[in-house]
Amino acid sequence: MKNIFKHSLLLMGTASVMLVSTGCKKNYTNPNAATSDQVFSSATGLTGVAVSLQRTYALGRAGSLYNIIAANGFTTGELILLNAGNTAEYQLSVGGGTVDGTNSILANIWANANKIEYDANNVIDGASKLNDKNYASGLIGYASLYKALALGSLAMYWEKVPAAVGANATFVDRKEGFVRAIATIDAALAAISANAISAAFTANVPAGNDIVNSLQALKARYALFAGNNALALTAANAVDLTKRSTMNYDAVSLNPIFETATSTNNVFQPVDSTFGLPVGLAPVATDRRIPFYTSINPTIAPRFRIAGFGAASATAFPVYLPGEITLIKAEVYARNNDLANALTELNKVVTKTAASDPFGVGAGLPALTGTFTQAQLLDQIYSNRCTELFMSGLKLEDMRRFGRATTERKRNLFPYPFRERDNNKNTPADPTF
Amino acid sequence: MRIKQKQWPGKWIGFCLVLALNLIGTCAFGQVKISGKVNAPSGAAAESVTVMVKGIKSGAITDNAGNYSLTAALKEGAYSLIFEGVGFKKKEVALTVGSAKSYNVDVTLTEEVSKLDEVVVTGTSQGTTRRQLGSYVSSVKGEELTKGGSGNVLAALQGKTAGAQITQNNGDPAGGISVRLRGISTISSSSEPLYIVDGVIVNNSTNRVTNTQSGYDGQNFVGSVGQNRLVDINPADIERVEVLNGAAAAAIYGSRANAGVVQIFTKKGKSGAPVVAFSTSYMNSSLRKKIGVNQSLTKFGGPTDGAGAQTQDILTPALTNTTNVTRYDYQDYIFRNASGTDNNVSVSGGTDKTKYYVSGSYFYNQGIVKNTDFQRYSFRANIEQTFNKWISANIGLNYINSTANEKPDGNSFFSPMNSTTIIANFHDIQKRDALGNILAVGERGRVNPVSVIEDIKQKQMVSRVISNFGLKLRPIKNLTIDYTMGIDNYAQNGTTYIPPFAYNASTAFWGGGLTLDPTLNGYASNANNNFFAINHDLNATYNATITKDLASTTQVGFSQQYEKGIYSLLQGRGLAPFVQTVNGASTVLPGNDQRSEISVSGAFIQQNFKFRNQLFVTGALRVDGSSVFGENQRNQTYGKLSGSYVISGTDYWSKLGISKWMNLFKVRAAYGESGNLTGIGAYDRFNTYTSTSYVGRTSLGSSSGLANPNVGPERQSEFEFGTDMGFLDNRISLSVNVYNKKVNNLLITRQIAPTNGFSTLLDNFGSLENKGFEVMLTAMPISKKDFSWTITGIYNQNRNKAINIGQALTLLSTNAGAPVSILEGQPIGVFYGTFFAVDASGNTVKDAAGLLQIEKGTQNSPLSYTTQRAANGLPTGTTLRKIIGNPNPTYTTTLTNEFTYKKMSLRIQIDAVKGLDVFNADFRTRQGVGSGLIAEQEQRGQLPRGYINNIYAIEQWRVEDGSFTKLRELAFSYNFGKIKGFSDLTFNLSGRNLISWDTYRGYDPEVNSGGQSTILRGIDFGSVPIPKTFSVGLQAKF
Repeated sequence: MKNIFKHSLLLMGTASVMLVSTGCKKNYTNPNAATSDQVFSSATGLTGVAVSLQRTYALGRAGSLYNIIAANGFTTGELILLNAGNTAEYQLSVGGGTVDGTNSILANIWANANKIEYDANNVIDGASKLNDKNYASGLIGYASLYKALALGSLAMYWEKVPAAVGANATFVDRKEGFVRAIATIDAALAAISANAISAAFTANVPAGNDIVNSLQALKARYALFAGNNALALTAANAVDLTKRSTMNYDAVSLNPIFETATSTNNVFQPVDSTFGLPVGLAPVATDRRIPFYTSINPTIAPRFRIAGFGAASATAFPVYLPGEITLIKAEVYARNNDLANALTELNKVVTKTAASDPFGVGAGLPALTGTFTQAQLLDQIYSNRCTELFMSGLKLEDMRRFGRATTERKRNLFPYPFRERDNNKNTPADPTF
Repeated sequence: MRIKQKQWPGKWIGFCLVLALNLIGTCAFGQVKISGKVNAPSGAAAESVTVMVKGIKSGAITDNAGNYSLTAALKEGAYSLIFEGVGFKKKEVALTVGSAKSYNVDVTLTEEVSKLDEVVVTGTSQGTTRRQLGSYVSSVKGEELTKGGSGNVLAALQGKTAGAQITQNNGDPAGGISVRLRGISTISSSSEPLYIVDGVIVNNSTNRVTNTQSGYDGQNFVGSVGQNRLVDINPADIERVEVLNGAAAAAIYGSRANAGVVQIFTKKGKSGAPVVAFSTSYMNSSLRKKIGVNQSLTKFGGPTDGAGAQTQDILTPALTNTTNVTRYDYQDYIFRNASGTDNNVSVSGGTDKTKYYVSGSYFYNQGIVKNTDFQRYSFRANIEQTFNKWISANIGLNYINSTANEKPDGNSFFSPMNSTTIIANFHDIQKRDALGNILAVGERGRVNPVSVIEDIKQKQMVSRVISNFGLKLRPIKNLTIDYTMGIDNYAQNGTTYIPPFAYNASTAFWGGGLTLDPTLNGYASNANNNFFAINHDLNATYNATITKDLASTTQVGFSQQYEKGIYSLLQGRGLAPFVQTVNGASTVLPGNDQRSEISVSGAFIQQNFKFRNQLFVTGALRVDGSSVFGENQRNQTYGKLSGSYVISGTDYWSKLGISKWMNLFKVRAAYGESGNLTGIGAYDRFNTYTSTSYVGRTSLGSSSGLANPNVGPERQSEFEFGTDMGFLDNRISLSVNVYNKKVNNLLITRQIAPTNGFSTLLDNFGSLENKGFEVMLTAMPISKKDFSWTITGIYNQNRNKAINIGQALTLLSTNAGAPVSILEGQPIGVFYGTFFAVDASGNTVKDAAGLLQIEKGTQNSPLSYTTQRAANGLPTGTTLRKIIGNPNPTYTTTLTNEFTYKKMSLRIQIDAVKGLDVFNADFRTRQGVGSGLIAEQEQRGQLPRGYINNIYAIEQWRVEDGSFTKLRELAFSYNFGKIKGFSDLTFNLSGRNLISWDTYRGYDPEVNSGGQSTILRGIDFGSVPIPKTFSVGLQAKF
């Protein structure tokens, strides 16, 4: 028996040596990606994250831009569905109770907006710690631009919006969302006016973004949506209407409308030359904006095809259109019952030619003459917004603001994504329509 | 107590089988030579049979001619010779040793049905007999794998091992195969078992070096598609396969054994004259079943092609005018009658000290889809060398080179299957313009199937070396130390070439759109995956006899594993004409460069006690650490305890009347734990920002998911009990296993509210449960010299359930549109979606036009809803959802009948998988585009106009019963025996997947477009159907 114990002891000893000697190399660093600590501690890291905000907003079928245009376009009758196999688009084209929390288009808008807000906050925080204040103001301005767009994308389509990104988010009225977007813009404008954006920063982000004009334009847009007409007018007046501000694309990063819809002819196309507007409000046949936004395919159905800002793979998409700013002014004047100024501003859009617009959007129509009641002017402004800003995602908000009949749209506000509802007990009840 | 020349109890001998060979000639006096020949019941030589003199440690193993020779120091007297071999009943033959110095003893063994004394190696390093095991381990002989006409070892395993659901996911010649042992054992990673070949942990991953297009699966979850790397193993090299179904058996493999272990042993040389074995076979594969296509003479709306073309007329109910059309059947174009060959040659032999087995193999098989094939060259050398009585070494080298000509995966609409599914069957796809260019099909930019078959080239090449080195030391008596090192190294390359289309092909399908945009038209890619893995295993085993009746085996072991992977991808679109490489791309798309390293190390101790040959108890403890998990989760301890009691081996039993007809009765129970220390990727616990180029600038995007940096591995605990019974001298044997396995700390990438800034969170949540049982029944109704009949039945039942996952519903967005979900308290991967409205009596609700309706109302919770009806009686409210299907079968079963008559043998294997649902995505698409039979009815006016459009969004429409019964294998062979220069010659004729009895509306319910994915099961979306295969072959030995 002795030997057994001896040998067993030997084995036990060997075993324990083995057990403690398992400390082979276990800490490998990830060569494929950078950690959050790393990216937020340098200007280049912060810039990269800031660029990703634009990418999340603007690129691909999952990006916010495509989904905003699709959700808004189907709901407001701008678009027709070409293939019912596109489930999310199909739901929106039917509208009502068919649109539900599984809808991936709505889920993308929702998730992207929160993601953009989350990382924009990180960039803005990180930028404030940089020594180069001129570079920092660029980061803050650029990140705030996409944060504002993200906040706006929630407030335009949902009755209540998250009060702030974070765990167990609480919800506030959607108008608050516009107010938050404006506050973000104001902070960014303040940072930029204290320290002008450096050229070094501008060179490091995708070309096309005119940060200051975009911030002013979005401020005007969201102030109007929030019902703050005075602020909308001030901001609109601060926009330089000769400037272009765009989200650019190239052969690698394709224009998402072109990539998904125009080039495939399998998802959606414009409804027709009425742009989905009722008789009386639809653009007249001579309106040059019809051939700007649509092209005609005489042989293969459907006849009306996407043109405009989804025409080609590298077509840049405007952050805002100068025409929108002019129409904001017109609307504010009209609502303030300053009908003369309203008509003047409206006529700037009605008579604008392609050559005189930085984007080539020009109705090229004769000026409206005669006297108009406030309601008539507002109708004309609505009609021009829907035509000038076709397929821009703004029409649903306009329909509600201009008090259009609910029969003209397929939904008023969207249901909350199941992903939010299932995991956040603060999620409000879905609107009935 | 001294351990030396003592009389060993006979029952010990079983355990010493493996030791026996090396102990020859350890005695110094009274040498007696015993030799002879051992035959199998068929009269053929029985090789690898151990011959022992009872009570003496001398033994020998028969060579390939069945001959043995042993020398022992024996005093005059009566002895027993014991003959034991895998698959044979142990036989004792009396021998009286007198004054003569040599004796000749020839025996013929009988077949062992119960396999109780068969040696199994898996789960221990030194091997044990099945008798001692507390858990079920199945063993399949190599020859059973090569009879059925399959070049893939996993396909050949179908229906041959209990507790396994083996699914060929795709009918391509190298189509992926998934193996589920006792259900799904994880959610977030692979549920494939751990594969070990001769001690080398071999990689079985599915790497996408082809189908690399970023847009091909959109943002959706496509699964794990393509070849899995076990396709590299040549079945002809396999001696046997052992399958451990659960943690109870696999605890010794600790950290990686959550999904079970499949251990493959390749053939080894045997001492004797060199034996040359040669086998060749010809295979013929074809489509087993064609599906019906629309024969309506009209379509709705305008023309099919050219000006005014209007396709998908079915989905535009406003169109009521009709156009006459010619109908085609594209199946005749894309499928073919495919040929293949399988050729193997091996030489084996050796001396007492040196043994070798070398083999070469060439396998070539065409796919039933035109222009697809797979070829594999394989070379293997296994060499064993005994240096002296205490050191021996072995080395194994396996080189594999494979090439597959593929077509794009079914999940894309430019694959052979889906390019035909997505168009109506009224286009003349062969029509060409004056320059010979293929024309567009319809107006929607669909890819013409002719482009897919003729022009798109996709190729995958693998070069792989699997090598093992082993050293076995016996420094002191009863102590064995063995060391195994294994290296698995492969380079996998994939190339894709989609030439620029000459017609309007959608940019989403890598065409140039209506304008044939030269910056977008065409695609080329080149991807490389390099994988290297090394494992070291050092084990020590110590045997001790404590008392006459009690023996002990102690084992300690240490293992270290390291894996490195490097993946790189070059890709571009907008190709120059004729240039097939990425150099021809005018638009270089973002490449990919991914690298990873992981290491796992661990140690174990295992103690086994044997009381006589009746009661066996084994306990083990293993500690493991893996680099992929957080530092404070590194070291995990896994325990195991098992016991078996052979009641029929007791003296008490032999006195019972029952022992007359019940000769074996064993009960066993086992508990074990295991983990999945490679359950997440190397760096998945880090929260990172990934860089991509965006409009010429660098974008650093945060991932959509958040990870808990302290995430830990999953832990599985399994309790298994079972029994083995033998009746009528083992003419009937029955094994039953009942198990309950639970995976705790389930790793789930769970959905979280997007307002967190992230949409998912990777952490340990809840658990997963698999409960089930397995029954194996073998009977030999007839066992005569010239005629035998054996029936084997296997029945497996498993119930899978997610528990406390902390989230009522996770609905995944899948590429096929399948509403796959993980629901609290439900099996993993159920289909959860919209369904048909029915009235109180269960009849479908129709509107005035006769159109079926989607159910609506109020969804109270994921599994509860209240339907609602408007005044007109039609559903109103929001769209409702419920569980509409379950891809997990209620049971799987196999019935095998084997007949031998003189030199003929016939094997018939029928597999049945029952009670599962399949999400048939292609069925709906065929109706929507107008090539299906429902579309025909609508076009012929047999269904109301708008019928299909109205139910298009009802997901239940795509779910159907996927139950099937298949004639899996039919194998006939005629053994000529020794004939004209051959020492053995066999003729084989076999068929595989010849008949399927099912009600499925597609080709074959036994496919999965999610590939080897754990969660995506039972989805039919463009998968190539599994062919029926005939093969004819010869096997010869010289």
